Amino acid sequence: MTATLRKRLPAAALFLSAVFAAGTAAAAGKIAVITPYLAQPGTQFYVEAFQAAAKDKAWDVNVIDTKGDVAAVISRLEDAATQKVDAVVINVDPAQVEAGLAAVKDAGIPVVGMDAGASPYLVTNVTSNGYAMAADTAAYVANRIGGKGNVVMFVFDAFPPVQVRGVIANAVFGNNPDIKVLDRVTPDVSDGGIADSRAKMEAILAAHPDKGSISAVWAAWDQPALGALQAIEAAGRQNEGIVITGIDANPQAREAIAAGGNFEASMAQDFHGIGKAAAEAVAQTLAGKPPKSSVIYVPTKLITADNVKD
Amino acid sequence: MASALKTYGTLIGFVLVVVFFWIEIPDTFMTAKNWLNISQQVSMLAVVAFTMTIVMVMGDFDLSVGSMASLAGIVAALAFHDGYGVGAGVALALVIGLAGGLLNGLLVAYVGILPFVATLGTLTVYSGLAFLVSGGKTIFGRDIPVAFSGFARSGIPFSDTVSVPSLTIVAALVLLVVWFVLEQTTFGRRLYAIGGNKEAARLAGIRVRRLRFLAFGLSGLGAAAAGLMYASRVASANPTQGSGLMLDAIAAVFLGMTMSEEGEPHVLATLIGVLILGVLGNGLTQMSIDSYVREVLIGSIIVLAVATSSIGKARG
Repeated sequence: MTATLRKRLPAAALFLSAVFAAGTAAAAGKIAVITPYLAQPGTQFYVEAFQAAAKDKAWDVNVIDTKGDVAAVISRLEDAATQKVDAVVINVDPAQVEAGLAAVKDAGIPVVGMDAGASPYLVTNVTSNGYAMAADTAAYVANRIGGKGNVVMFVFDAFPPVQVRGVIANAVFGNNPDIKVLDRVTPDVSDGGIADSRAKMEAILAAHPDKGSISAVWAAWDQPALGALQAIEAAGRQNEGIVITGIDANPQAREAIAAGGNFEASMAQDFHGIGKAAAEAVAQTLAGKPPKSSVIYVPTKLITADNVKD
Repeated sequence: MASALKTYGTLIGFVLVVVFFWIEIPDTFMTAKNWLNISQQVSMLAVVAFTMTIVMVMGDFDLSVGSMASLAGIVAALAFHDGYGVGAGVALALVIGLAGGLLNGLLVAYVGILPFVATLGTLTVYSGLAFLVSGGKTIFGRDIPVAFSGFARSGIPFSDTVSVPSLTIVAALVLLVVWFVLEQTTFGRRLYAIGGNKEAARLAGIRVRRLRFLAFGLSGLGAAAAGLMYASRVASANPTQGSGLMLDAIAAVFLGMTMSEEGEPHVLATLIGVLILGVLGNGLTQMSIDSYVREVLIGSIIVLAVATSSIGKARG
């Protein structure tokens, strides 16, 4: 019996210390930030920016990461409704968690989306303009190749935020009569996207062996752009002037752009700005003046070798 | 007395956790609405854990339940997409679940592969199939009929403000069926006999192979049911969405096993294991405790509970 109690004591101690640690924050507002995607770099950045802004406002922020489990987001939304927090911030497709959003709405708690997607359940959604990002990089490609040549596109139509990028790039290239879209590739992303994009690009390079037969690679996000870069370098065709662009400007892409090779441009989302703007939207909502627009776009920036080190 | 505490240590721990939350969150934790919430939140895990108990009674494992749950959701969603009704889509997914489970049973019982290896293999196969048939994408929106996604949001009214969620009722029915099968039928008693000693069970005339084959079928069926519940709850199907269920289900059964004198899994004990996981998730969220602290706590509690019980047994 004592042995049993002794074994349980450390658990109780751990439990209590965790509880006291959590109980110390003074609350001017209780905010639950719920996401399944905290392990992803972008999400981390805007959650950190949100927390920094919340600190200034003396909010008590509880960040809940369900580690990829979308149903658990619904559970945690229900808990937040039971707990009667003052506001909820989500970073997940609202269509998949409607059951939880309904519970939060029933409790009269406002929800702000942080790069979440549009939904009638949200006061507003703070995000980057996917249309604008694709337009910037596609226009960069079209201009760099002088409106003429063969372009390989890497797209992913199954994921709505990436699908819109492909639509816009199609429109830009379609508007240049001398640009031909050679291939519209959907890479297998289960390994992160770089390896399969490289394999696909290697096949395309093999099918078009002549110098100048490929003018540019436009990728809807950075991973395929990096894969295409690897394929081009491995094939020894890095001096043919093939222009590569990505979107997101992740650290690996920035490194490639800074190196001054074929990977010339990408789009930086202002993750920090998204977090800050989401905090602002929460503050306005709590003050009784919710933002009027159902979507708030935070400006993005074209990253090239000129400004990649800024 | 000491042995009673050993046996009921996990149960006492569960009660302490509940009392703790009751004291810390006096207004909202111990309410009918919150408990119905918890019951709904754990319903999918519960169904997987209940049917996992059936194979674990024989000392076996089924690692493929998570990917089977994902595959079942995808199959149903694709059926809806192709214009099949809710009933047909659900039935098709359940048939796939049963067939996948029986395949596990075939590999384990008749081919003679260790369950760990066999179901690790099928885990990968079912996960690959889910990606293959869905093209890797999430199926959502108009493809999911309202009648299907509405099920997870429906319930039987309990009073003016609260209702018993449909998902909770499904989990309760599965609990009832599994309890009946394991505790009240010859089939169940034979499974426990196999878990006790396979060779002795065989020599006593129990058809060990056939029973293992069938038990794995039930585990696959349960996994598919849970996958459908999950897809209904999130109104979408994604080729990875069930993957978290497997480890939690095994953890729940292990927590339950600590409550048995012989270290045998019993489905009512599994229910306590499921509730411990669910209550911790719910209570700690309401107390605004960091989600990573929650992970550490849940893991520690599992290890402590199992350690306590096995140390006690070694001494006894």
